[in-house]
Amino acid sequence: MSARDRILGRVREALSERTAVEHPGSFEGWRPAAPALPVDGLAHLLEAAGGEIVRQPNVDAAAAWLASFCADFGSSAVGETVPEPLRPPLPAGAPDTAPLGVSLARGAVAETGSLIMDARDGRRAQLLVPTHVVFVRTRDVYVTLREALIELADDLPSAIGFHSGPSKSADIGQILVKGVHGPGRLVAVLIGDGD
Amino acid sequence: MAGRGPMSFTGPGNYREEAAKTIRDKPEVRTSITAATRTFDAHRVHAWGQIDADRWRDWARDVKSHVLGHLDEYLEQAEEQLTANGAHVHWAETAEDALAILGDIVREHGVESAVKAKSMLSEELGVNAHLESLGVHVRETDLGEYIIQLLGQPPSHIVGPAIHLSVDDCRRLFHERLGTPLDAEPDELAGAARDALRAEFLAADLGISGGNFLAADTGTVALIENEGNIRLSTSLPRIHVACVGIEKLVPKLEDVSGFLQLTARAATGQPIGNFVSLIQGPRKNDEVDGPEEVHVVLVDNGRTKLLADDAAWEALRCVRCGACLNICPVYRQTGGHAYGWTYSGPIGAIIAPAMLGLEEAMPLPYASSLCGACTDVCPVRIPIPELLVHWREKAVEQGLTPMTETMGLKAYAKLAQKPDLFAAAGSVLRHVPLELGGRALPVLAGWMQERSAPKSSKKSFLQMWKEGIE
Amino acid sequence: MAMRVSLFATCLCDQFYAEACADAVLLLRHLGVDVDVPRGQTCCGQPAYNAGRPTEARDMAAHTMHVFEDAEYVVLPSGSCAGMIRCFYGEISGVDTERAESLARRTYELSQFLRQVLNVETLGPGLEGRRVAYHHGCHALRELGVKDEPLALLAGCGAEVVEWEADEECCGFGGLFSAKLPEVSAAMADRKLDTLPDVDFVTSSDGGCLLQLSGRAKKRRTGPPFVHLASALWRGVAR
Repeated sequence: MSARDRILGRVREALSERTAVEHPGSFEGWRPAAPALPVDGLAHLLEAAGGEIVRQPNVDAAAAWLASFCADFGSSAVGETVPEPLRPPLPAGAPDTAPLGVSLARGAVAETGSLIMDARDGRRAQLLVPTHVVFVRTRDVYVTLREALIELADDLPSAIGFHSGPSKSADIGQILVKGVHGPGRLVAVLIGDGD
Repeated sequence: MAGRGPMSFTGPGNYREEAAKTIRDKPEVRTSITAATRTFDAHRVHAWGQIDADRWRDWARDVKSHVLGHLDEYLEQAEEQLTANGAHVHWAETAEDALAILGDIVREHGVESAVKAKSMLSEELGVNAHLESLGVHVRETDLGEYIIQLLGQPPSHIVGPAIHLSVDDCRRLFHERLGTPLDAEPDELAGAARDALRAEFLAADLGISGGNFLAADTGTVALIENEGNIRLSTSLPRIHVACVGIEKLVPKLEDVSGFLQLTARAATGQPIGNFVSLIQGPRKNDEVDGPEEVHVVLVDNGRTKLLADDAAWEALRCVRCGACLNICPVYRQTGGHAYGWTYSGPIGAIIAPAMLGLEEAMPLPYASSLCGACTDVCPVRIPIPELLVHWREKAVEQGLTPMTETMGLKAYAKLAQKPDLFAAAGSVLRHVPLELGGRALPVLAGWMQERSAPKSSKKSFLQMWKEGIE
Repeated sequence: MAMRVSLFATCLCDQFYAEACADAVLLLRHLGVDVDVPRGQTCCGQPAYNAGRPTEARDMAAHTMHVFEDAEYVVLPSGSCAGMIRCFYGEISGVDTERAESLARRTYELSQFLRQVLNVETLGPGLEGRRVAYHHGCHALRELGVKDEPLALLAGCGAEVVEWEADEECCGFGGLFSAKLPEVSAAMADRKLDTLPDVDFVTSSDGGCLLQLSGRAKKRRTGPPFVHLASALWRGVAR
């Protein structure tokens, strides 16, 4: 008998005389009042958590914004899934030394203010850079975390990260500090489908 | 007992002494803990005020109760899914077994250094001391855990390991160990820690984490944090080991949505942890980075004992949010160290008797005035005061209570059924100076040590009533 | 015919707050209620129940249920004892659940009774101009859900109930807890006392809490007077 069998055996024995509770069903309907547009909810929470929000009507506008934003940086580490127009005009840098990281989020969640980072985009560039720019299409913004997880479940990479603001900690005397390990500056660029 | 090392605990048996010592000799701990826990609790109140907290808590309680009622099925499903995802699943009955599994992984892969994400389970198992004994350099990466690792102390609170320390304590520590100026601001201190730890993240062979939730349907380990050190610890090293208590199961990834939010709101008042990792397994062929191997160690270590208890199994619903610690008027006088074990406060008191054994866990079930504040804030509605009384009943059954208490209460109960004798005893109480009585009866001695003797009324009320009240 | 109330003094108040029990009687009579004090009353059994001794608790509960068998209303100058009867009598292993539930339904803490049954609004002007701090005993607050009742009654007597940061935090009595873990218990009382604003007196519906806080205050030579709610409200009637 293996450890597995013994553990499962003890579990079954513990439960043998007990009546089980039914699963109560889906969790929904009790979330905070959502603003009219999910994108506004996302922006509000990300900003409240210390992130920066940039709104661009379309990919071209976002690319133009990126070109000017990059002026302050010497190199960048770019995610694998970032499309050509949104790749910064900078020399490629390694994730652990580049001052800037640019990623494409798989989506975002309005009710928690989270960006959905897929491992396929490359984890190091999402985590090691001090300044992290994340593009997300407004059409990929989910209202609820539950919806997001249901869809993600159909196509899961090795890891998904939900990033809801710049890295922070209050472990030193309850005082808030940023950029402890992950990026200390998070810029979320919300790209619309417009002209 | 498993996991005894330089940073581990002294055992709950010394609770009274340790608590008294802390209160008397380190009043700043009480101040720091009171301030920190009040802040956490205020944030929780605000965050729960934004949602229908009652309904969320009912839902969370029912999902967890459901899982625990079918735990074997969900464990098997989780194992199947994790294996299909390419992860290795191990089963550890005891702390020793878990450490042996870690030891095998270390030896097989020639691990020299490890980075650790904050994990209360890893504290419970004594992971750090064991790995160090195998020659592995282990670095805690959560800022609070890093601080206490440098100090050689165990964590003081489930969510904020270093809340018993002040900013000045940190300034002195960092000045000594990292060379920062004595008057450095928290920003600068954190920056020094970040620089020191980055090198460790990049060099480590092994990343060790716990698991907040394990979704059975997709084989997903979910982890919550604010700093990013968990994402880094589980992404950079070539091997990731997640130690997950068997009670952490939830049926579906979809369910994790409710738990992530409720737990974050309960713990720190945030809508969600700043970083959440959902880990399925090792890097896939189309991914550029990520660990080559992911191991999930499913740990029992007394959890099946707790599950077998017809009342206390409800404590397994715990999501380790710390809300009960934050509201507990007993916990805040001392912080976690006095409890002498990994888990302190109300939750520690109700799981210790099963996981450590009741005798070893004493007097924790009595380290409570039964005020009930904890159960009012528990996101999964664990009936904590009821369970404290449950364990007290077991302590009585097992003869673990002092003889004087047993005799005293039995005598008292008999007296209470004989009103004339009861009244006579009361009269004696009123006429013997309590300062004297204090030395005679241990119960009164405890009272008299810290308080003035209560003044009895001149006559008992029942006496006054007999004489007539105008 | 006037309403009949049976007073359960409780073991603690009988010995240490007898005057407050007498004040409760006078107060209830003043409100037009007939008060009786059934013979044979002793202790509700809470100390045994909380100490994990259900057999002793069951015996004391059975005795109490017998004593108050014919009571129409049972009123206690104690939130914790009223809580024990209302919330826990039915849970005691081996208890006669029907009788327990019957007694529970008829049982009230004093301020709860005054507001919920007698619908008292103002008692009198006797506390006008007095600054008062109210300590919410844990059992009254969390088991009985009694929170606004004492505050409304005090305000109804003209008292100003001042803000107190720690007003809902446990005082550290907890029955045997105060004697088993005296250092922690005292630290809890200190937390209450150290955050107390400047007031004329502190009041509460629980004798245990008052003993704990006044005992600690006296030891530290600090603190305002501690007055049982029954006495404070009787003072509030002030003719």
